[in-house]
Amino acid sequence: MVQGHLLQPSWQSHLRAILAIARKDWLHFKRYPLNALFRIIQPIMWITPIYFLGKSFATGGTNAGFASYAGTNDYMSFILIGTILSSYISSVFWGMGFSLKEDMDSGVLESNWLLPLPRVLFLIGQTVASITITTINGLLVLVLGWLLFGFQIHGNILPAVLVMVPMLIALYGFGFAFAGLVLLLKEANTLVDVSDFVVSMLSGSRFPVQVLPRLLLPLALALPLTYGYDAVRGLLIGSHTLLPIGIEVGILLVAMVLMTLLGSAVFRRIERRSRRLGTIGMH
Amino acid sequence: MSHQSLIRHSWRSELRVLAAIAHKEWTLFRRYPSWMAAFVIWPVLFPLGYVFVGRTLGGPNGADTATFQQLTGTSDYLSYIVIGSTLYMWLNMTLWDVGFQLRAEQMRGTLESNWLCPIPRISILLGSTITKLGTALIFLLITVVEFWVVFGVRLWQGDVRLLLLLLLLAIASIYGIAMAFASLVLRFKEANAMVFMVRGLFLVFCGITYPIAVMPGWMRTISAVLPLTYAIHAIRAVTLSQATFTQIWPDIQWLLVFAVVLPILGYVAFAVTERRARRSGTLGQY
Repeated sequence: MVQGHLLQPSWQSHLRAILAIARKDWLHFKRYPLNALFRIIQPIMWITPIYFLGKSFATGGTNAGFASYAGTNDYMSFILIGTILSSYISSVFWGMGFSLKEDMDSGVLESNWLLPLPRVLFLIGQTVASITITTINGLLVLVLGWLLFGFQIHGNILPAVLVMVPMLIALYGFGFAFAGLVLLLKEANTLVDVSDFVVSMLSGSRFPVQVLPRLLLPLALALPLTYGYDAVRGLLIGSHTLLPIGIEVGILLVAMVLMTLLGSAVFRRIERRSRRLGTIGMH
Repeated sequence: MSHQSLIRHSWRSELRVLAAIAHKEWTLFRRYPSWMAAFVIWPVLFPLGYVFVGRTLGGPNGADTATFQQLTGTSDYLSYIVIGSTLYMWLNMTLWDVGFQLRAEQMRGTLESNWLCPIPRISILLGSTITKLGTALIFLLITVVEFWVVFGVRLWQGDVRLLLLLLLLAIASIYGIAMAFASLVLRFKEANAMVFMVRGLFLVFCGITYPIAVMPGWMRTISAVLPLTYAIHAIRAVTLSQATFTQIWPDIQWLLVFAVVLPILGYVAFAVTERRARRSGTLGQY
């Protein structure tokens, strides 16, 4: 007797599943309007002290010290671009990192896990929602930045956006592994908080990495994100880049492939381990 | 027939209550080793983000610090930023710790039963505040030691008695705010958004990384009603410019006012919340 299966998985059914998961996350986001508002206000609050710090060093309205490192006088645009890119890092560390843990805490992970879907689709769906929400958020922060700090773009936006694509895929690929790690560790707030801050700082979200002490500089240069920040700024505001932009894009492409493979491999391994030990519902 | 209560309140019994609550909080604190790790990591990590920005703005070899020096009276932007950001971290930590105290009890389901204890209810908040103050002082000590060891920055320069006086006045102000905040959180429940708002206010207006003089007039008006502005200004003056009591007297006057008014405000906010919670019976709801 041939056993029939009601399921007919196809790329279309997978796409529908991804969109359904993304829609669920979007609904969650919309249910907390105050939190949504603070996601826009918070980055502005964080960069205000940096803005005034810049003013307290400026002579005749320009920051010569900054210009000699960055090759541009546009201090605030430099900072704002860094802030927007950092918001993707934060959404990977906090959003993706805790995505499975939150499902676990609210008691839906086990039932979701029983669905006849490749489990990695859950993370891809969350990635779609996260990138959409963070991008909308970032655009609103840029509008506020334009109104408050005079943010402006001199270069081409399209190449900068294209550079961001491998960078974001690499970042979210890493997010898959990190989500698995948080699932294992369970109580990881300090780890996530510190990692988010350190990665963002060392990648040069607020300053050119050349100012880092010799001890920290190799760490910064080992992070692919550093080249992402650098290339996007180079394209948008014409700042000096560490390497020619073509090479920086090449590094990002390699990172994209490696991080995606690594992220999904780690996730699959942790998923198998959790199934074997039966720890999916424990928290 | 007269009712006689078995409870005999005395100042000693009140002290025992405070000690018991403080001890309970300390036991909770020790149960989470990752909190201790955060105590060691953040004092250095958080200011570094701003310190490297200062290093960038100062240019190669620190050649572009003239304006900063003119505005602040020092070219030591490292110590300048560390003092401001450390006081901000202290406030932020206190808002989360003390501010969430009653809410955490509410979430755990222990607030109602504690409320029934025959003790002054403010003790529930004061007892845990004692522990939080102790841990905050440990945090400040770690900060001072770490910056001395790692960067060679001495944060206890100047008149140490003056620094202790300023610390005392700052404690009264910060914990007064936190007590009022704890009551508000219990009332409105949406705690995270409230912390973001209050800490954002201090982050933006108190000059944690920059001199107040660079802000526009309307912002300076807001910073003038925040206690942290005076605490940061005075501690910087004593530590970096060896200011005397007379020189920082205007800051001390304001801090004295805040040190008296804010704890009273904290107590009043608690009393109002307590009365409201009893009348509406909403203490256990979350």
